[in-house]
Amino acid sequence: MYDATYDTTQETAVTDVKIKAKDVQVYYADNHAIKDVSVEIEDKTVTAFIGPSGCGKSTFLRCINRMNDTIDICRVEGDILIDGDDIYDKRVDPVQLRAKVGMVFQKPNPFPKSIYDNIAYGPRIHGMARNKAELDEIVERALRRGAIWDEVKDRLQAPGTGLSGGQQQRLCIARAVATEPEVLLMDEPCSALDPIATAQVEELIDELRQNYAVVIVTHSMQQAARVSQKTAFFHLGHLVEYDDTSKIFTNPEDSRTESYITGRIG
Amino acid sequence: MTLLWLFLITLAIAAGAFVLARSRVLAQSGQDRRKLHSLPVYYGSNAAMKSAIPALLVLVIWLIAQPFVVNNAVSGMISDSAIADNSSRGLVLAEVRRAADGLDLAVASGALTADQATDPQSDFETVTSAIEESGAILTSQITEPVLRAAQAFRAMTATGKRLMAGVVLLIAALGALWGLRETSPEFRARNVVEQGVRALLIAAASIAILTTLGIVLSLVFNTIEFFRLYPASEFFFGTNWAPSFSGRGGASDLGILPLLWGTFYISIVALIVAVPIGLFAAIYLSEYASPRLRAIAKPMLEVLAGIPTIVYGLFALLTVGPLLVSVFGDEGLGWMQAGTAVMTAGLVMGIMLIPFVSSLSDDIINAVPQSMRDGSYGLGATQSETIRQVVLPAALPGIVGAILLAASRAIGETMIVVLGAGAAARLSLNPFDAMTTVTAKIVSQLTGDSDFASPEALVAFALGMTLFVITLGLNVFALYIVRTYREQYE
Repeated sequence: MYDATYDTTQETAVTDVKIKAKDVQVYYADNHAIKDVSVEIEDKTVTAFIGPSGCGKSTFLRCINRMNDTIDICRVEGDILIDGDDIYDKRVDPVQLRAKVGMVFQKPNPFPKSIYDNIAYGPRIHGMARNKAELDEIVERALRRGAIWDEVKDRLQAPGTGLSGGQQQRLCIARAVATEPEVLLMDEPCSALDPIATAQVEELIDELRQNYAVVIVTHSMQQAARVSQKTAFFHLGHLVEYDDTSKIFTNPEDSRTESYITGRIG
Repeated sequence: MTLLWLFLITLAIAAGAFVLARSRVLAQSGQDRRKLHSLPVYYGSNAAMKSAIPALLVLVIWLIAQPFVVNNAVSGMISDSAIADNSSRGLVLAEVRRAADGLDLAVASGALTADQATDPQSDFETVTSAIEESGAILTSQITEPVLRAAQAFRAMTATGKRLMAGVVLLIAALGALWGLRETSPEFRARNVVEQGVRALLIAAASIAILTTLGIVLSLVFNTIEFFRLYPASEFFFGTNWAPSFSGRGGASDLGILPLLWGTFYISIVALIVAVPIGLFAAIYLSEYASPRLRAIAKPMLEVLAGIPTIVYGLFALLTVGPLLVSVFGDEGLGWMQAGTAVMTAGLVMGIMLIPFVSSLSDDIINAVPQSMRDGSYGLGATQSETIRQVVLPAALPGIVGAILLAASRAIGETMIVVLGAGAAARLSLNPFDAMTTVTAKIVSQLTGDSDFASPEALVAFALGMTLFVITLGLNVFALYIVRTYREQYE
């Protein structure tokens, strides 16, 4: 389904650290939401953030592309580095950063535009195409990578809001992919979808791993086990445990992780 | 018995019915309210409702109907020969009512005894002189038939009032009895009261709707009357507006086109001012301003909407007009003759409309879900890119609706035009010329001493009707647009 030019042999390539967070603190006014979180997220890997509601996993996710900048009362301390560059450095333009770090939200949020214009939105803003033919190509490639091309190729001018929930979410993923990001952040991307659409999106996430570092926040432990290679467990603003997914789910080190996974807390 | 007393006694009967029904049902159940179908208060309310509502309804209908009945009866007493050539039946009837008022005043001041005032055989001379001395306003000499009709008028009005009091109180008492008879522990008083509440709410809604209907009907009949006297084609397509008032003689030109042109010209100038300023203010307030600034700035902007339009008119006349003349007048560019002009009224009206556009647009922009903005920011768009390409397209139908509502306000505006735009009806393209609008001309046609049967006065209703149809069309269109496209982001 994904573009043939991307070599699947990359899967076996040695993974290296893409995002490095060190002693991150986040405050919402007086509320200390994230406490001393340090984590190293690997490239070409799906990393899952799990934890009970309000544990800070979405907040931390939104720090990685500085979406928290749009919230007035939010304050971030500590360092987050992508490819070794501090993204909270004064010289970094958050608008540029967000083009590099794509984001998919909990509820599908297609713009009230045509399917084509939804995908072309990012490339147009960033001047990625020299002419219409190139833009068409970018749109097609993004829709193919979003695993939705076959369903919409005959109605690119139809409104994006007219698609089904699962199609809308894949459209949003394709839209995020269209700006050629290096990291893809997903904030509970399947929580508004039915099981069939969820399966489609999960399959897509697995394919996206070939090209991107994917970070996914999820409430479903089955989903985390299915799609991720690494899992981080958050509790009350702390990063409790971060390890290979298989280890977290079979042999967690921390008793809190075990309690959460077996359903005793959260 | 005065109306107030009648009203209070009816209410007292209802209150009595309430207390009686409540204690009756409690007595029947042996003071155990668990045996009742409804709470005791519902039995009381049921009886009070049945006593007061029909009685008050009859009271209202009687008050409306009685003058018609009495007028018709009195009108029958006056023969055609008693009506002078230069007069009409309506004028004579008005004279009769004034004479009746005079009789009341004369009795009250003691110039006449009550018997003298009512006795149809009483001496004509004494009675008329007493009326004249009483200070009643009479326009002509009272004639014998008028005086006799006035006496009959008084008699019938008095009988009517007594009869009304009797009937209303009887109905109140019967209603109270009916409510009391029904009262038993099995009676479903709660459900009946619920029906009553529902009927009350329906009545409130229908009064509003019926009033609108009444306004439209009064316009329609007078408009039809006007078109009987003046050809419709000349009214709708005439390019000259030159009414001649009765007394001066001569035919009038009553073409609506110069007035419509003035209306649209001024409205367009107003919208050109109000739409960009209002929209930009709305975007700033909803997207850029901090919550604290917004909490202060939005109400302050809305204060503009609370200023009476006559104050805006003064502002146009005393400030904006002279300011424009100093720039565009003879000492400046020489385009403008006087302070009153399309531009003056349009600018001030535009300022008046800013809060309409901004307040409505602000609400609509806020209704665009945050997820839409997040999606755009997440793709690396700046704030203004997000607003231009995502928020505004999503909010557009609502904004168009807001602009159309502002337009219908502009078309219906009067005071700013009267004071700011002058009174000359003309077809001109120069925005610095004085022009006038439909609304301003309605005012000038109906103020002063005018005869309501002449086309010069009746034209006001045709103008009003035209304006009503135009603004109604605009409002319907605005609502249609808002409704059709609203579900796009819900």
